[in-house]
Amino acid sequence: MSQHSVGPLSSRRSFLKNSTMLGGGLMIGLPLSACATAGMPKVGDKDFQPDAFLQITPDNQVHFYMPRSEMGQGTYTGLTTLIAEELDVEPSAIHVHHVGPLSDYENPEIGFQATGGSTSMRVSFKPLRQAAANARAAILDAAAQQLNLPVTELTTENAQVFAKGKAFEYGEFVVVAAKLGVPDEAPLKRPNEFKYMGKDRPRLDGVAKSTGTAQFGLDVDFPGLHRAVLVRCPVAGGTVKSVDDSSALAMAGVKKIVTIYNGVAVVADSYWQAKQASLALSIEWNEPEKLASFSSTTGKKWFEDALNLGDTEDAFEEGEGKDGLETASKVYSAEYWAPYLAHSTMEPMNCAVKIEGGHCDIWVGCQTPDVARGLAARICDLSIDDVTLHSTFLGGGFGRRFNSDFVAEATEIAKASGLAIQLIWSREDDTRHDFYRPASLARFEVGVGKDGMIESWTAQRAGPNIMPYTLDEVVDGKAPGFIPNGLVDWLSKRGYGLFNGLTVDHSSVEGLYEDYDAVNKDVQHVTVDPGLPVGFWRSVGHSFSGFFKEGMMDEVAQGQKQDSVAYRLAHTKNNPKLHGVIKLAAEKSQWGKSLPSKHFHGVACHNSFESSVAQVAEVSVENNEIKIHKITCAVDCGFVVNPDIVKAQMESGIIFALSAALYGEITLKDGKVQQSNFHDYPVLRMAQSPEIEVHIVTSDQAPTGVGEPGVPPVAAAVANAVFAATGKRLRSLPLSLS
Amino acid sequence: MITFELNGKTVQFDASSDTPLLWVIRDHFKLKGSKFGCGMGLCGACSMLVDGQSTRTCILPVAAVANKKITTIEGVGNPEMLSILQQAWVEASVPQCGYCQSGQLISATALLSSNPSPSSEEIDQAMSGNICRCGTYPRIKKAIQSAAFKSGLAHQSDPQPNQNGGVNIFEPAVSTKEDRV
Repeated sequence: MSQHSVGPLSSRRSFLKNSTMLGGGLMIGLPLSACATAGMPKVGDKDFQPDAFLQITPDNQVHFYMPRSEMGQGTYTGLTTLIAEELDVEPSAIHVHHVGPLSDYENPEIGFQATGGSTSMRVSFKPLRQAAANARAAILDAAAQQLNLPVTELTTENAQVFAKGKAFEYGEFVVVAAKLGVPDEAPLKRPNEFKYMGKDRPRLDGVAKSTGTAQFGLDVDFPGLHRAVLVRCPVAGGTVKSVDDSSALAMAGVKKIVTIYNGVAVVADSYWQAKQASLALSIEWNEPEKLASFSSTTGKKWFEDALNLGDTEDAFEEGEGKDGLETASKVYSAEYWAPYLAHSTMEPMNCAVKIEGGHCDIWVGCQTPDVARGLAARICDLSIDDVTLHSTFLGGGFGRRFNSDFVAEATEIAKASGLAIQLIWSREDDTRHDFYRPASLARFEVGVGKDGMIESWTAQRAGPNIMPYTLDEVVDGKAPGFIPNGLVDWLSKRGYGLFNGLTVDHSSVEGLYEDYDAVNKDVQHVTVDPGLPVGFWRSVGHSFSGFFKEGMMDEVAQGQKQDSVAYRLAHTKNNPKLHGVIKLAAEKSQWGKSLPSKHFHGVACHNSFESSVAQVAEVSVENNEIKIHKITCAVDCGFVVNPDIVKAQMESGIIFALSAALYGEITLKDGKVQQSNFHDYPVLRMAQSPEIEVHIVTSDQAPTGVGEPGVPPVAAAVANAVFAATGKRLRSLPLSLS
Repeated sequence: MITFELNGKTVQFDASSDTPLLWVIRDHFKLKGSKFGCGMGLCGACSMLVDGQSTRTCILPVAAVANKKITTIEGVGNPEMLSILQQAWVEASVPQCGYCQSGQLISATALLSSNPSPSSEEIDQAMSGNICRCGTYPRIKKAIQSAAFKSGLAHQSDPQPNQNGGVNIFEPAVSTKEDRV
């Protein structure tokens, strides 16, 4: 596997553009299913199904088939609220269903059925409301005909039509509505008519998730389902050279031991039996040479050497680019580092597969169900129509479940063993076989003019790119069935070459340069990829670029002896949303006012996923230990459907990012990940959690991202506060003073 | 043959006695509310009450609970009858992905049964064995404080099984029809 690559063009958002370049256009534009509603179970023949999202039954049940996955971010509540508002049904009365793959459920910005990129509310806001409004209009048309009244004399309220003081359930009109058809562009409600949108409302999955009754992938069970544990090569990408399974085979409950493309799987009656037997396997591995030669103690030099060599790709240029530095009256330069990180979702990866009678059933909670189904179909040599994917709640995603590696493994094991199996990863598997947040090294040179304002902003980044690893799977999973497996393998591997020279993976440089006003900008990129798989980690490139850029901005402001907030405000004149949240966070945190003894403020801000977030961290340092007392957060994410969920996502992003800022680091020795579980890859616990205050900008603009934008500023706000407290500039993650 | 009390009912388990209680409850008794998170007793997703104490069951051999009282999340309350803590959880919209919340609720239940009016630091202390990657800690704390307030600060150190097999101190308080999942 040659994994040297670069290249900006694509984030998840522009994925399809890049993907079509690779696949020569073959992978898109082909109908995935002849039947538009293949993913929807029909409850009864008399139901009204205006589209793939909604179903109303004669007994007045309203069903919503939710096109995105719920992994904590709140789509289950948020998207249902959109439906509730325009259909005029109390949100808690709607039956919400997870869905399998269907072309109607594709994410228009990503090009397949993906939940990611903080897009769910943004891309669904208009279409789902329109679908619900159309359905309501159809019910009203049917009611008008059935009751022989003009539609103007009818009103609705909570799944009922009111006519001349009498109430009729929607269900009474569904048969006629189904016959009459559905209008295309029924008028949408105006903001002053909203009943549910824009208000704090409880999560609709709150009861299930507070009673242990919400079903996650791990909870799937049925008679005849065996459990599987897979032992993988400690160096990612390795294969089995030889295996001695004689002891393991003799152990209680063990049914089969099979070798698949990346390891040896034990299939047993129960997880514990499979786990115990897996420890008795003796395996020799073929390790990939390049990754096996990489150790973190010396590995950072790979990144430094690449930047020193200067053989970079142009990622972005504006004005005079780097030449602008020549006329600067002062140039500030600094180097920033961020390590590999694991996702550590609370629910370890798992997937259940049953292959029987020419059909494959998959049960999984994942972010890309259509890719997962496509991979399984290819492995089983079946048409995608012969593969059914059953979706569940996700016990955390954060980008980890964008990859379908665990679905491919489970399918291979089911196929090789001939048994229905549920593959369960241990925490150690999860920590050591992730698609990690890419390690990154960046160098900045920032030129300031005589007036003290930034004229030139330049950045260079070295590190691996996410896109080639993702393309491996997406091409395999989405290529049409008529393309032979060999050709698909060849196509999917082209990603590494493509991103090494032809184009820059936008997620490798996003966030390094966009936010501040400067006449000249230049961004360079060089790919350094030891071969450890990398993937989408909550806020993707912004997860490191937010720290880098905001640390650098603080260095320049401090160098210029300027107030950190005032200097940022002075450089966001062309960026009103960001300007606004900086002001709001400063005001709410009482920036510049007196703090408790030995407490210090630091500020950072960042645009990502079309939203703007600014945060002020209140920090103290004692015996070189950083204590975070409070984070004040201001967010502008357009119109807010449920303010309480936006607050929850800011809290969530802040705590997730604090784990990375204070503790997060995946290191390798001879290509093997050294961390394994929460004792050596610690995350924030309640006692370390600061007070968090969230302020949301009131907006009538379209909704923008929420799940990820809370993450990028956090580490920088803390590091900038540490500088205020100690005079020490921390340029490396995790933050450490010792 | 190991005998113990599970959510108020006497049950028996006849298989390898070194199997962790978590897997016995999930795979044999088919109660799926308790979760597997780390397998090392580090994250608390598998927490159950063992004689009233919040206990990490992913590392607890089933043999160790012979003749003891086990309460899982299913014994604390259910969608139709929420305990006061569960009600507080729903009202504060605590859960995000929700995977760790059974364990969080078990630890919170144990805390309030021994300390009906915990301070902020005492909550930190009691809850820091339970990890939440979604970062719901501020809401967990708020919900515990709210439940402590609502349960009238009554102190009952010796929880009794109620009709659902749960602990009586948070007797199911609220009926709800939101069991739609």
